[in-house]
This record gives sequence, C-alpha cells and structure tokens, in this order.
Amino acid sequence: MAARSLRRGHPLSRAVGVSVPAGAPPATSQVLPTIRKPAGGGKRDQLGSLLFLAPAAIWLLAITIYPVIATFRNSLYDENAASYVGLSNYKAIFSTASILVNFRNNVIWVVIFPFVVTFLGLVFAVLTERIRWSTAFKTIIFMPIVFSATASALIWRTIFDLDPHIGMVNAAVQTVSDWVNPPGLYPVNVSAGQTAAALASTGLSPGPSGSLQSSSTAAAGDTVQLGLIGISATTLQVVGAQTAIVPTPSSGAISGLVYRDFSPSNPTVRGQVFPDEVGLPGLRLTLLRGDGTSVTSTATDQHGDFRFDNVGSGSFRVQIDAKNFGSGFTGIFWLGSQSVTPTSHLSQTAQALLSVPLVDLAMIVAYLWMWAGFAMVVIGAGLTSLNRELLEAGRVDGATEGQIFRRITMPLLSPVLVVVLVTMIINVLKIFDIILNMAPGSSQGDASTLALAMFNDGFTGGIHSGLSSALAVILFLLVIPAMISNLRRIRG
Amino acid sequence: MKPKFLPMAVMGGLLLAACGTSGTTSSSSSAQGGSVTLWAEWSSGEQNAFQGALQPFQTQTGTTVNYASKGSNIDTVLEAAVSGGAPPDVALIPDPGTLQTLAKQGSIKELTSIVGSLSSNYGSAWNTLASYNGKLYGVWFKGANKNTIWYNPAEFAAASISKPPTTWEELIQDAATLKAAGVTPFSLCTDVGWPVADFWQNIYLKTAGADKYNALSAHTVKWTDSTVTTAFTTMAQLVGTPSNLAGGLQGSLSNAYPACVDKVFPKAGAQPQAAMVFEGDFVSLEITGNSKNYTPGTTGAGGAACTTDPSKTPCYNFFDFPAPSANSANKSAIQGAGDVAVMLKDTPQSEALIKYLAGPDGAAIWAHLGGFASPNNKVPASAYPDPVGKGIAQALVGASSFVFSLDDLQGTWEKNMWQDLLNFVKDSSSSSISAIQAKMDQEATAGLGH
Repeated sequence: MAARSLRRGHPLSRAVGVSVPAGAPPATSQVLPTIRKPAGGGKRDQLGSLLFLAPAAIWLLAITIYPVIATFRNSLYDENAASYVGLSNYKAIFSTASILVNFRNNVIWVVIFPFVVTFLGLVFAVLTERIRWSTAFKTIIFMPIVFSATASALIWRTIFDLDPHIGMVNAAVQTVSDWVNPPGLYPVNVSAGQTAAALASTGLSPGPSGSLQSSSTAAAGDTVQLGLIGISATTLQVVGAQTAIVPTPSSGAISGLVYRDFSPSNPTVRGQVFPDEVGLPGLRLTLLRGDGTSVTSTATDQHGDFRFDNVGSGSFRVQIDAKNFGSGFTGIFWLGSQSVTPTSHLSQTAQALLSVPLVDLAMIVAYLWMWAGFAMVVIGAGLTSLNRELLEAGRVDGATEGQIFRRITMPLLSPVLVVVLVTMIINVLKIFDIILNMAPGSSQGDASTLALAMFNDGFTGGIHSGLSSALAVILFLLVIPAMISNLRRIRG
Repeated sequence: MKPKFLPMAVMGGLLLAACGTSGTTSSSSSAQGGSVTLWAEWSSGEQNAFQGALQPFQTQTGTTVNYASKGSNIDTVLEAAVSGGAPPDVALIPDPGTLQTLAKQGSIKELTSIVGSLSSNYGSAWNTLASYNGKLYGVWFKGANKNTIWYNPAEFAAASISKPPTTWEELIQDAATLKAAGVTPFSLCTDVGWPVADFWQNIYLKTAGADKYNALSAHTVKWTDSTVTTAFTTMAQLVGTPSNLAGGLQGSLSNAYPACVDKVFPKAGAQPQAAMVFEGDFVSLEITGNSKNYTPGTTGAGGAACTTDPSKTPCYNFFDFPAPSANSANKSAIQGAGDVAVMLKDTPQSEALIKYLAGPDGAAIWAHLGGFASPNNKVPASAYPDPVGKGIAQALVGASSFVFSLDDLQGTWEKNMWQDLLNFVKDSSSSSISAIQAKMDQEATAGLGH
C-alpha cells in the first residue's frame, strides 16, 4: 500500500510543491525592502516611476475606466444615449417578462454549471491519477478547451439536432427505440402533428389507440372498400404497391380492398376507385365482431386486396391495426424552449421565471464538455501538491480510502475547489457565445442570458444603448462579489 | 388570371420598343466629360455588376463615375456626410424613410423637371414612394420582391396540381390536396423570427391593404386592431395545423433560414420534405447554391420533366403570395425593398446620371447578369435570363402599391416583435392571439414612444 502510493504522483512535482511555499515568503521579504528603499529616494524617483507607469495607466484609463464610466452614464440615458431618463431603463428591465427571462437563465446556469463542472473535474482528477494511460485520458478530456466556443457550440448543435439522421443523440435514442418499437410500413409522424385518423378517407373511422375501423358493418358475402390518403409516393415505392383491383364478392367470405384514395387524374375526388389508383399492400388487418372482439387477422396483398374466409353469420368490422402506422422514433427537440418543469398552470410571468427550457440543459452539457478538462487540470495540480504524509498517516491509522477522500483530501483541496467554483461562476455569469451559436433561432429568446441580451440590445437590429448599458451594469455588479472573492484568494 | 398576363407582357414589350430608345438618347446628350461621385450599398459581385451597368453612361458622355461602396449602413453614412458638408453627387439609398428625411432637410434636389417624362417608366406606387410633399425626389433603380412563395414543381406534379394557387383559398385547398397525396405542403422558415415577420406582413398587406399597413407601421393603427386579428387568424389557417408543416411544429421551430429552403430544394442525396417555402427573391440564390441542377421554371434541364431527385432534373419556381379572394384589390400589393437614386448636388453630370438611372439601359445590363430586378417598366422582359427573374420583375413593375418590411421600421422593439410572432407559431389559438396582440401593442408603444 505504502509503496504504491509512493509511486503514484510525480516525485518532481511533489518536490516543487513543497519547495515553493517554503521558499517564497523569505525571498519576497528580502527583495521588496531593497526596492522600496532606494538610496536617497525622493520626488525625482517618484516622478520617474510615474513616468514609467503612465503608458499603462493611460491605456487602462482609455480602454477600461472610461468605458465603464460611459456605460454607467449611458444606462441612465435613452436608446440613442441622447437624453437623460433616470432609472427607467432599470425599471424596464425588472418589469418586462421577456427581459426577466435572461435573469432566469443566468440563475439556471449559475446554479447548475459551476457545481457540476467542479464535481466532474474532481472525479476526473482523482480517477486519472490512479489509472494507467492517464496522460492520454487527461489529453482527451482537456482537448475541448482548445476549440473555440463557437466551434464547440456548432458541434453540439449538430449532435443535438432534431433529425435522427443528423443528430447523434437522437440517432442513438432512435436505434434503441426502433428496436423495442419498430416502425410500421405506413409511418405516421405523431410528433409532427400527423394522426392515423387523418389518413382515413373512405369507409373508415378512427378506432381505439390509433387504429382505423370500417365505418359500416359487413356480413359474409359482402365486399368492403377502404380508402386511405396521405400515403407518399416514396412509401408506395417501398411497399411495391400495384394497381388497385376492386374485389368481387365471394360467398361465406368478407372480401375487400384497401387503396390509396388519391387519383393523379382526379386529385380532389375521394371515395371512388379510379383506374390510376393503387392498392396498399402489407397492411395488417383484424376482423372484429360487433362487440369489438377479434375473430381473425390477415394482411393485404400487392393489389391491396384481402379476404376473410368462412366468417359465419353475424356482422363484422374490419380494423386496420395501429402498428401499421407506428412512426418509430422521430427525434426529441433537445434544443427547443419547451420547459422541463411543469409550468403550464402558472401565470405568464411566473411561467417565464420558473420554467427551465430544455435547450438550457443541452447547452450546459456542451459547456461541461468544454470546461471539465480545465477543472480537472486545476484540481489535479492541487491534488499532486497535497501533503502525502497526511494521507499516509490516515492509512496507517486504518482509515478507508473513502474516509481519506472525504476527511483528508477534500478539506485540503477545498481552496482549489473554491477557486475553480468561483472562476466558473464568473465564467457562466458572462455566458454568451455558446448560446448565440448553439440555440436555434426560435429558442434564442427563451435561452438568452444577460450578456446575450446586452449584445442584442446594443449591437443588433434596433439598437437601444440605454437598455444594453443598464444590463451591462447589472452584469458588472453581479460579477463583482465573485471577483473580489477570487482576488482575495490570490492575495492570501 | 393566366391568359390576362400574356397580352399585358406583350403590350409592355411593344411600348418599350417605342419608348426605350428615346429615353436613352435624351439622357446621353446633355453632359460632356467631367466626373460624378456616386454612393451605393453594393460591394464585391454586386458592385461589379453595377459598375458594368454604368459603363454605357461613361462611354456615351465621357463622364467618369467615381463609385464608392458604403455597405448596408449607407443611410447613416450619408446623413453624416450631409451634416459634415461633404455629400456625394448622387446616392442610391435602400430606405424611402431616409429619402423623406433628406428631402425635408432640403439636402436632396427635386427631380421632377430633370426626370421629366422618364417618370412614366415607373408605376405610380413607385413614384409615390420616391416623392416628398407630392414632388419627385428619387428614381428607383433596383427592387427586391418578398411576394414570392417558392415551390418544387415535381412535388406539385406528384399531387397533380397543374397550376400554382392564385388566391389564399386555393393555397389552402392545394395544401389539402398535397397532404392527400402524402406530400407535406409547407416548410416554414422561423429562424429568430424575421421570416415569420415577413410572412405575417405579407398576410397583413394582403388582407388589410397598404394604407392600413403603413398606418400599423407608424402605430397609428393599434396592434389590437381587428385587422391585425384577421391577419393572425388567416395565417393560422396554414401555420396553425402542424401537419401542414415539414416536421410539424418542432421541425419548424428548428428551421434556421437556409435550412428551411433546403427541405424543399435539397442538395443531391436527399429528397424534398415539403412542397413550398416562403421567403423573398433571395431564396433563388440558396436553391441554385444547393445544386446547379435546379432549373428555373416548370421544366427540367433539356426539357425533361422535373424530378424530386436533386441529382437528376430538379426545378424551382415561385408564385405570387396570394390574397384571400375577398381582398382581391390587394393582390398586387407587394412587400419588398429597393434602392432609390437621389441627387445631392446639382451638376450637369449628376443630372445626366439620374436620367440614365431612370432609363432602362443600365438596369437591363444588370438584369442580364441575374440576381437583379428592376421596377422600371421599360426594362425589356428579354433582359432577364430566366422565367423566374422575369416573373419577379413583372410583379415589381405591376405592383399596385409597394411597402417596405414593417419590422425594420419598428426600431428597438423589432426583436420583441419577432419573438411575439414565434410565440404565435408555437400557439395560434385565439386566446394566444389576443394575448400576443396586447403584448405587441404595449411593446410598440414603449418602442416607438407613442
């Protein structure tokens, strides 16, 4: 046990990790006084240092201080930054539902992302420390950070695409779903607003659970003609449909035809079997008694014809089974703005504030992929500079690995974890590019954050510099606490 | 409808043969030598085409045209140049609002006497749009047409629809026929909302008319007005039924702009998922960009039948956005955009250039290169390289009234308007419509300040 843990972790980094904190404070305390107290120091030297500072100070004034002040000023002015309007921009921000949505999204990001990414970073850091090929794993996990956020957003936009032929996630779900629940020969895409009932054209009515049934009853010796519409030319090719043959009655049997009730020569006439209409092959049919119990089943032939022999007495209905119309899986709209929390019973403002659009979660997944590597590397660096003797002491005292992780590693790592957490909070408060590039246009409004709203109001379309500046000021105020916390940590 | 069009086109052609030449000669004789500065928004390919169109003017008059491209914010640049005291001689601006502003300031010259009889090259809708206080201040050189619904002729053929709809009712009927044939009627462009706005504005224009349209744009008609409700409910007849739309509601909401066109005019290797898509004349660039095989009109390359397969002989065509039959008075009202030439300095050279731009010769040259339509009725139909370009220009020339996109005139609440229209697509029930109308009216009041 002890030998293994010695091998683990780099001897070199451990040596560095120990020597820096030990050596650094004396070094600074020796060097600094010699700088602060030059021989015969006076006003001339102060002037000299000011001169040296001037370029940087002017630069800072020009590109940081001035814009900050100008933004504060503009936030109190109208859309053209022309006339003073007091706090009305701020009032508008806090009273308009479509702007409050931006706050909600910032909250969703801040509540979920920093914690999950820190947790993932910790898991990856601990795990990669303990496995072979850890460099390869670390490289793979770290790699996304080198891609531009725009490129990553476009990659993930494709991964989450609605069409299973394009989107990887939907393709994966489709593979499983279609295996469990295979699509029928005549698929009806329910999620695209289609229904089996809409296919019923002639002699058919909607039956239970997505099936279709003949509208009138039939007895032995009768013929039945059932017309369906909305069958595409592509489907006809796939099933190999041939010209419809009107059935002839045969004694003791119910014979019939299921045909495509669309004649190219009479495109608007229904309910009539024209010579250029085709039968629909391969449809699974069930013969039902008047009380709905099934008698027997069959399928239509290449001409759409079917026959139930020796049905006996009584009246029957013919059912076209629901499984003929199974559409299979047609894709989940991961990037849509539909809420994952049930909010439809709430008022509109409450809906805007409390709903969690699915697209937010999809984008958080993409952003985790981008930043987990960064968290892993920072936490991993903290991990390697841990004082191993404490861990060894724990093990000698008989602590389990789980206890060591919870009681020793975590407390020792907590400063690093907090830095990662706070950095990520700042990061997602300013979140912008991934939303602009990953959310489809129709979800942009529901996925927008303060930073994106600031950009849209200030730089695209009808520009409102006052509103945009006010949003920038609010964002600035929100980031300040996190910034101060991080600065303190760096100083301490 | 159809047989009526043909004689009109023939008559237009005859008229042009009579007047076109005289228009040219009168413009070329007045100025000799010198130079004229000209600003417009066009750069790169469009700039080359435009400069090609100016070539005859330069050779005939010996005047050098110093062209400068000012990009899409030419309005701002021009207004700044005017107040800075260094405007160009002539400018082409994409916004009639700017023309009004400049005319009011007295920064542009009245053209009534300079253009003279050449003003008859334009329909009254166009001359009105280029006038301030009843006096002519501009001549239209280029027009863009948003009155276009694009369809895949092979998909119409699959449903045996032999001619495209001419009224809104026929469009709804054709949608039902397409569905019966198993063809999804429409691919709805949503993007961030601007294509929905273009769609809705067309319907408002067709149902309420141009006067109401302009009044709504200025917010002198409220968004809670019954005409607005009518436009919403009319649009819901098509958009409110998800099975009319490729991919249903979700599929529509995932449509960024060119992707919705690709569903009707796919690249090689895919099949069309819908028969029609609405957007302006610029859609043709996207279609031909998807595959060079796409032939304008209703016959494929080499006279073959149109195919749905883009790798064979696919076609593309458009029909004019239809009006409900009860509103047939508005059927030739057109939403679009355009570039109007205004004169900022009165020199012989700039007068000659204005006359040249009001004549058909320059426009005919650019028209021949494609991607261009002129509202000038003297530009011969034969100048357009294909039936689609010809049809787009004919609609512009014959416009009974012409309006610019309303959303672009809404200032800061434009993006709210787009979002509201997206919300309408998501829920087009009557309660949703009235809630959206109330919200839009509040936003318009806040955005426009009245």
